[in-house]
Amino acid sequence: MTEIITPKSLKSELEIASASYYQRWRLIKDSLARYAIVVGGWAIIVAIVLIFFYLLYVVIPLFIPASAQSIANYSVPGGDKGKTMLLAMEEQNEIGVRFTDRGGALFFNVKTGQTILDQTLAIPADTKIVSFSAQSGGEGAIAYGLADGRMLVAKQHYEITYPDNVRTITPSITYPLEEPVVVIDPQGVALDKVAVGIAKDETTLVAATAHKLFVVGLIRTKSLFGEGKLERTVAELELPVENIAHVLIDQELNNLYLASERGELTQYDIRDKSAPVLKQQLTLIPEGQKITSLALLNGGLSLLVGDSSGVVSQWSKVRNEQNLSSIIKLRSFKVSDQQINFLVHEQRRKGFLTVDQQGGVGIYNTTAERELLKLPHVVHQPVAFTVAPRANAFLIQSADGQLHFWKVDNEHPEVSFKSMWSKVWYESYPKPDFIWQSSSSSSDFEPKYSLTPLVFGTLKAAFYAMLFAIPMSLMGAMYAAYFMAPGMRNYVKPTIELMGALPTVILGFLAGLWLAPFLEENLLGIFLTLLVLPLSVMATALAWQYLPKSVRVNVPDGMEALILIPVIITIVWLTFALSPGLERLFFNGDLKAWLNNEYGISYDQRNSLVVGIAMGFAVIPTIFTIAEDAIFSVPKHLTVGSLALGATPWQTMTRVVLLTASPGIFSAVMIGLGRAIGETMIVLMATGNTPVMDMSVFEGMRTLAANVAVEMPESEVNSTHYRVLFLAALVLFMFTFIFNTLAEVIRQRLREKYSSL
Amino acid sequence: MENQAERRHAIDISSIRTISHNPGKEDPCLHVENLNLFYGQKQALFNINMVMPKQRVTAYIGPSGCGKSTLLRCINRMNDLIDGVRIEGKINLDDQDIYAKSVNVAALRRRVGMVFQKPNPFPKSIYENVAYGLRIQGINDRHTLDEAVEQSLQGAALWGEVKDRLNDNAFGLSGGQQQRLVIARAIAIEPEVLLLDEPASALDPISTLKIEELINELKEKYTIVIVTHNMQQAARVSDYTAFMYMGELIEFGRTTELFTNPVKQQTEDYITGRYG
Repeated sequence: MTEIITPKSLKSELEIASASYYQRWRLIKDSLARYAIVVGGWAIIVAIVLIFFYLLYVVIPLFIPASAQSIANYSVPGGDKGKTMLLAMEEQNEIGVRFTDRGGALFFNVKTGQTILDQTLAIPADTKIVSFSAQSGGEGAIAYGLADGRMLVAKQHYEITYPDNVRTITPSITYPLEEPVVVIDPQGVALDKVAVGIAKDETTLVAATAHKLFVVGLIRTKSLFGEGKLERTVAELELPVENIAHVLIDQELNNLYLASERGELTQYDIRDKSAPVLKQQLTLIPEGQKITSLALLNGGLSLLVGDSSGVVSQWSKVRNEQNLSSIIKLRSFKVSDQQINFLVHEQRRKGFLTVDQQGGVGIYNTTAERELLKLPHVVHQPVAFTVAPRANAFLIQSADGQLHFWKVDNEHPEVSFKSMWSKVWYESYPKPDFIWQSSSSSSDFEPKYSLTPLVFGTLKAAFYAMLFAIPMSLMGAMYAAYFMAPGMRNYVKPTIELMGALPTVILGFLAGLWLAPFLEENLLGIFLTLLVLPLSVMATALAWQYLPKSVRVNVPDGMEALILIPVIITIVWLTFALSPGLERLFFNGDLKAWLNNEYGISYDQRNSLVVGIAMGFAVIPTIFTIAEDAIFSVPKHLTVGSLALGATPWQTMTRVVLLTASPGIFSAVMIGLGRAIGETMIVLMATGNTPVMDMSVFEGMRTLAANVAVEMPESEVNSTHYRVLFLAALVLFMFTFIFNTLAEVIRQRLREKYSSL
Repeated sequence: MENQAERRHAIDISSIRTISHNPGKEDPCLHVENLNLFYGQKQALFNINMVMPKQRVTAYIGPSGCGKSTLLRCINRMNDLIDGVRIEGKINLDDQDIYAKSVNVAALRRRVGMVFQKPNPFPKSIYENVAYGLRIQGINDRHTLDEAVEQSLQGAALWGEVKDRLNDNAFGLSGGQQQRLVIARAIAIEPEVLLLDEPASALDPISTLKIEELINELKEKYTIVIVTHNMQQAARVSDYTAFMYMGELIEFGRTTELFTNPVKQQTEDYITGRYG
């Protein structure tokens, strides 16, 4: 009898089945499991994406271009009280000041232009103002050169008080010297050019008359009883060139620069104010051009020269091979087609702002060698210009008597592709170079954010670690999976896997405090071991073949590796015991000194050898385990098939087993490499963390990961340094991401090609 | 130990002696003499004596676990790969004891090729699979290899099907094609003996038929020993058949005689399907 199942009866049967409690519960469990897996999988992806975007979120402001916006326009405060000699602003961008050619100092509200204080400087009535200058740097000193050979020195002063918890800034003019007016030229010749430099207890005044150059040093000597007295030195020199147009004193009051309009620069060493020494004379610009502006870059190590063709060049003292310093052009910027009227350096960074003849403003950074912002035609004809101390605003006055107040948003000017990845010629470095040096003791230091040495260090550490780990772990995996007795493998494999559970901080600690000094003392022993050990293992294997069969039969198949243990211990002991004698015999008792003398190879105690061994040790378990699994899981029928064709076990290993296991072996190596690249503690503790770019095995390195770990705690949140560290982390992330993706793609392709049934 | 000794006595030794070890009186190729095999303490083969003639097909039949595959693997010493195997007795290949100390196992296996139950091509191209045996002998001359590959594939009746895709991965072939590829790989090194361990048991009927036709062609050049649990197959392809049971050789004779007129009751029971 045959029952015909109609669709209807089938359906009703299915319905009955699903209606049963057990069936429903089964379905619920199934979908619960499915959702749990889906949610888990997505959570991982989302977490990684979030990490990536968080890093990106911190890094992105580095690449936001600078911007500026006009805040206020107003007519010059006290416009009838003389022409502007100098504009300045205080720290908070609330109060500006205008020094006039009639000796007036007008403090005004920067946002509205309202006059706050109108003060007249103590200029003697019987003479005239012929020159003016402001101190280069942040002290705010100004000097007026007078027609009778005297000089007036004053200082802006801003008193910040908090009455009723409101910040109130009270401006005033002070006179830092005992007398406001100082006699420079006793003959009373007009001071055509003046310069003033005020440091802590020292003031230097420089003035050029028609033929003479005066350098006046005023040092306040402290006595035991109360106020000290002012000691005065005067040096009177012949003018080195005619028509001095620019006089600059650096912040440390050590160097004096004079430049003529035609571009002849003279540098004096004025450490001894009573006897300035002419150090160097050179021409800064091509024939036919004129120097239109001259400024010192923050820190006083570089001169910025703006010329009539619209080019700004940076010149710095650089030591050559003979250890003689000379002034060399580091780089130049084509700023404009017109002449540069104003060139002002930023007070906290290695940046400067320019104003060309037609009123175009440009913002530049020398380290990054980068034009950050170009504002064409801010005003029609600029007559005065100043930059806020924090370089976040500027004031510019146009010929029609208007003042323009602009705010600048320029947080991270030091960063450019070039400053991070290419060679940069830093101030006072003999040549362009890759340098990572994010901070120093001095505040006007040029930060050096080249990621190249860090990437190099990362790859170098990974390279040496893999050089040590790959042969050991792959050979070990091949032996353990294919030749070793199963009983022995059951002990060896878990033991090596246990090595992987060692916290890397312990490995790093051992590497730094035990291995590094040990290697330093037993360098020859290490090299001898590396050379002799493989040879002696092979020799032992050969000797094993010639042992009487009665001995060999008693050792179970694959257990013969055990006899290597005493061999290895003996050989290692022997090489270390012999090495001092050999060192005396061949290397004058000290291999490191010998290497240094003969080949110029220097030896750093925390070096790549230490890292290679320590990090190799950390990576070996990972590579070994995965590769061993891959080799072990090569189907038996393939090896047997190969052996049945008359292949030796070694031929079977190299031609069939490794080929079939290649996807697994490859991913083992790539996972090991990923670990070596991201490894932090070992490199942190065993490399010395010097960001040098040297492939030598005896030199240390600094890796991206260690760099982040070392510097992150001491970087200011949201500073350029902080963000660059995040960028380093992002680079590291991308590195591992790219490596892993690449590894996975290659592994899939290998698997497609070599997968076995 | 005592058990085994008892078991051996239980079998009618005199009757074994009556069957011929060399029933055809042809040119001998393989000579098995008093072969005993132990897996650790357990004996798996008991006192096997037989002569397999040259360029004939010898089939081993018997129920599962009777030791026919074990005996086959003794001929190219594949049992060496298994831990704890001990062998007593002799197997002579052309009057040379293959278990002698001086024998190079790899060289022996070159002379005694083997094909397994499951097709086991290497994860390489069709060409490289066939050339593998030659390459491990150090033959890398392209011309020699080309010739050997073509001849072997033709010998294995696969040339026509794969000649246009020699560089494709061998895994792209069907199961039957893979098995013929494996046979081509085995004959590429021109062995004297070809051991086939249930070569068609994993294949569909059409592929099985092709393999059987191939065996008929191959016996003109090679001495073939085939293990099969398919008695029809044994009857179709073999010249001689050995029936094994519980590790012993029960009967060995010309296939036609063994299937039509078995000497032993056990043989008759088996071939008539009473157990197995």
